[in-house]
Amino acid sequence: MSQTSLRTRMLEAFRRRMFFLVGLISSVFVILLMQIINLQLIQGETYKQRARMNMENYIPIPASRGEMYDRNFKINERNVVIVSNRPSFNITTIPASFKSKEEMAAVIRPLCRLLRISYDDVMNDIRSRNPWERVVIREDVGFDTIVVIASNQHRFSNIDWEDAPVRVYNYGNMFSHAVGYIGTISPAEYKRLRDSGYRHYQKVGKSGLEGEYDSILRGMDGHYRRVVDVRNRIEGEEVGLQAVAGNNVILSIDFEVQKVAWEAMKDLKGSCIVVKPHTGEIIALVSRPDFDPNLVISKNNAKIIEELNTDKNKPFLNRAIQSKYPPASTFKIVTSIAALEEDKWNPNFTFHCPGKYTLKGYIDRDFYCYDTHGTLDMYWAIAKSCSVYFYQLGYKIGPTIILKYAEYLGLSDKTGIDLPGETQGFLPTKKWKLKTFGQQWFDGDTVNLSIGQGFVSVTPIEMANLVSAIVNNGIIMHPHIVNEVLSPDNKKVLRKTEPRKLREIPLSPMTLDTLRQGMRLGVKSGTSGRLSYLKVPIAGKTGTAQTRSRRKDDYSQHAWFVGYAPFDGPVENAVAVVVMIEYGVAGAVGAVPIAERVFSKLISLGYF
Amino acid sequence: MLRRNEIYRIDYVLVSAVMAVIIIGILMIYSAGFDPIDRTNSGLYKRQIVWFIIGFILMLMMTFVRYKSLGDYCLYIYFFILLLVIVTTFFGTPIRNTRAWLTFGYFSIQPSEFMKLAVVIVLAKYLELRERDIRHLRELLVPTAVTAVPVLFIIMQPDFGTAMIFIPVLFSMLFIGGADVSHLVAVISIAAIALIFPMVLTYREWVADQDTSIIVSFFQDYGLLFTVAGFLMAVSITTYLLHFFLIKKVFRKIYIPSIVFSLGLFFSVVIMRFLKDYQKKRILVFLNPDLDPHGSGYNIIQSKIAIGSGGFFGKGFLNGSQAQLGFLPEKSSDFIFPVIAEEWGFAGAVILLGLLCLIVLRGAQIALEAKDKFGALLAAGISSIFFFHILINVGMVLGIMPVTGLPLSFVSYGGSNLLVGMISVGILINIRMNKFVY
Repeated sequence: MSQTSLRTRMLEAFRRRMFFLVGLISSVFVILLMQIINLQLIQGETYKQRARMNMENYIPIPASRGEMYDRNFKINERNVVIVSNRPSFNITTIPASFKSKEEMAAVIRPLCRLLRISYDDVMNDIRSRNPWERVVIREDVGFDTIVVIASNQHRFSNIDWEDAPVRVYNYGNMFSHAVGYIGTISPAEYKRLRDSGYRHYQKVGKSGLEGEYDSILRGMDGHYRRVVDVRNRIEGEEVGLQAVAGNNVILSIDFEVQKVAWEAMKDLKGSCIVVKPHTGEIIALVSRPDFDPNLVISKNNAKIIEELNTDKNKPFLNRAIQSKYPPASTFKIVTSIAALEEDKWNPNFTFHCPGKYTLKGYIDRDFYCYDTHGTLDMYWAIAKSCSVYFYQLGYKIGPTIILKYAEYLGLSDKTGIDLPGETQGFLPTKKWKLKTFGQQWFDGDTVNLSIGQGFVSVTPIEMANLVSAIVNNGIIMHPHIVNEVLSPDNKKVLRKTEPRKLREIPLSPMTLDTLRQGMRLGVKSGTSGRLSYLKVPIAGKTGTAQTRSRRKDDYSQHAWFVGYAPFDGPVENAVAVVVMIEYGVAGAVGAVPIAERVFSKLISLGYF
Repeated sequence: MLRRNEIYRIDYVLVSAVMAVIIIGILMIYSAGFDPIDRTNSGLYKRQIVWFIIGFILMLMMTFVRYKSLGDYCLYIYFFILLLVIVTTFFGTPIRNTRAWLTFGYFSIQPSEFMKLAVVIVLAKYLELRERDIRHLRELLVPTAVTAVPVLFIIMQPDFGTAMIFIPVLFSMLFIGGADVSHLVAVISIAAIALIFPMVLTYREWVADQDTSIIVSFFQDYGLLFTVAGFLMAVSITTYLLHFFLIKKVFRKIYIPSIVFSLGLFFSVVIMRFLKDYQKKRILVFLNPDLDPHGSGYNIIQSKIAIGSGGFFGKGFLNGSQAQLGFLPEKSSDFIFPVIAEEWGFAGAVILLGLLCLIVLRGAQIALEAKDKFGALLAAGISSIFFFHILINVGMVLGIMPVTGLPLSFVSYGGSNLLVGMISVGILINIRMNKFVY
């Protein structure tokens, strides 16, 4: 009996446990069903999107970047092309598309031999990346190499190539500071530009016009849309979006003038600006030392950029707009304008120059002139650059008025030239001196200021504007390098840079005439005498700036020349030239010969 | 022997469900082997058809043999297959660094698949014989050994997934066979404690969690852990002795939990000390593939994309982009379910899952209605093999179970798996047929 009841009880226990398990099994199937509902019905659209992303592959079609021409561009003629593009290809592969490591090695090894690159470098690069990502094995490969690869497809399976035009700076160093260069977009730039449609693999203008006009030059990349399988074999391909080429630009720079100025400044440090005061067009802009943008954008450019960055001569510095120097005697123009405009002076009034000027005070202090000029009026003072004359004149009118006119003339403001990274000059004030040095403004400071020494400093482009004001009857035009923006086929002018007034100083005819006569006199029989034999009448002013540091093996003075021609001709034809040479002995020695070569070139090109 | 009128007692519901699932599987293997770019097929489906025919014959044969004789010869079967497993472990054909296959010319078989069935037969026989004593802890020793020996050799192959499936099958058979639930819970708790703490620590180390709470510093101090484990062990032994002499139920409530915790902590220290970092990480990724999105995690992501993008009606036969363009890995074997879900959508997935559920529940019903305990345990064991395969495989492709290389019974490509499945179905039919025999 107990035997039977035990059996029954055990059977009962067995049935109970079986039902428990059946319940468990059913709930597991319900859970699986719920997850299927979740994936397919609730999140279905998300996963459909992800499946599409898996099989669709977008291959960028790079837009060709706009070219740059010099000012004499004429459609359908041989033009000076300053910057252009060269067709080139990138060899790419997707490592995951190979079936095995051996298969990959069997393709990559002969490919590396063909491309003359190190197999180990390529493999290290591949190993460091996600295998599903496109790897560029080699950039900048010519069409002939592509032909070899394409005709041996069985040997180079899974090897792909894409268009990757390379920027060519046809004149290398000559335009480096005007044109700048491009480079792969940096993470910081990408963050800033992402919303404007930039992509992380694109190049972007880094400096010069390439940087300033990037949005005009870059065009818009297109893409191929490919349906691919997991090994990236192509099932279908179509152009998803056509690339739109970038716009070309015509510069105001004249190739011939740029070339002469650039060659004249060989082995020198400094800058040269040639500008048309009437329109603000920059005809030449040279800064030395310079660099070759072609090298900067080349493969393995990191070392070159590092070298250029650490070079003590700072070749990346655009000295025409990014460096400031004491203006020295060229500042006498400002002192003269201030005196004449404030009705405190007449050009015929004279001072006596005994070779030095003694400032009376608690302790008498002597300020020297480089020569003994005797008694002279303002014309001759400008022409001979007599410092004693301007010591006395500056002392007479005071620093406030001088600084006021310096500011009017834009010496403490950026000129707004269409180049990135411009800096502005510096004009000291009484307040500034008290704050910085804890000293008040001394008369000695005024005397120094009146000949452009001491604390004052200006950029060459500001000086170019100062000369323009004299030429252009007190009107300073906005300086610019790009004259026109053309459509990619050059047939249509999309934008013309209209001359625009930057500032207008109501200078009296007497002031203008005094300065023009004085500067003309300086060329005829003064400090810029070398320029007097040229066929066109030139007016000019030299400057020799004392630098604080005295070096044994170097000249310790900066040389300036500011001038224009023709001295009394029509304003429309006038061209102003500013030359600034670091450690250039003296204006007359260091800067004038360069101005001379530039002016003779301008004359032979028929500018006047 | 099969008498004429017995032909009507064949379980046609089970047979048609199994046939339907196998045919769906062959269609999907065809789809998975199709290459839309070269317009060729890998031809795996043809092999699967051959396996299906062989399996069908074996299934019929199993319905002729009286299942009781399986019990009588269980040890011969067990040791013969164990021998095959051992031979495979040392002399098998290495495929992807695993020696799990014995190759015979054109075909190869996987003895570890057959081992599952052999273990179930032995366990069924043993549990039937020890029906009355199974509540004692010592009676669990033989079933554990019977399972552990093949598992060890399969781990050496190494085929972690196949080895792991024996454990839940063993537990469900012990449960149905009448083992004390507290014993089973205790063993599972020890394993859980031994695993969870090292996993948590490794995980925190891996994600560089610097926040060190008291619990974390406690588990990083092995000496302290050993002390606690020893103390708990002492408590447990003392209370066990008290229980032995005084026979009071209250002591049971102390010594069982403390021995469980003590052993759990002890093993967790062992795991932390002797497992290498990469081994710990491998177990972690096994538990959570998202930690390794480029390795095994990649497969799960692609699998979920395939299933999810199928939507309600699917993309159509041979039109699933995930399967056809190769984004789905192992699509003929372990990841066959996503192919169905992608190409035939929710409708196809639910029909397949329903049929599989039907097979498992039909097996359970056969176990409940079986004439004797051996038949009942055999049917339950076979159903649990099916069930855990389905749970682990479908759970894996749906991203809710760890990644283990287990095929989906009847559907995945694989001869041994299909043969064992169909032999098992033959046994189930046999058990059901014999309930009418008195």
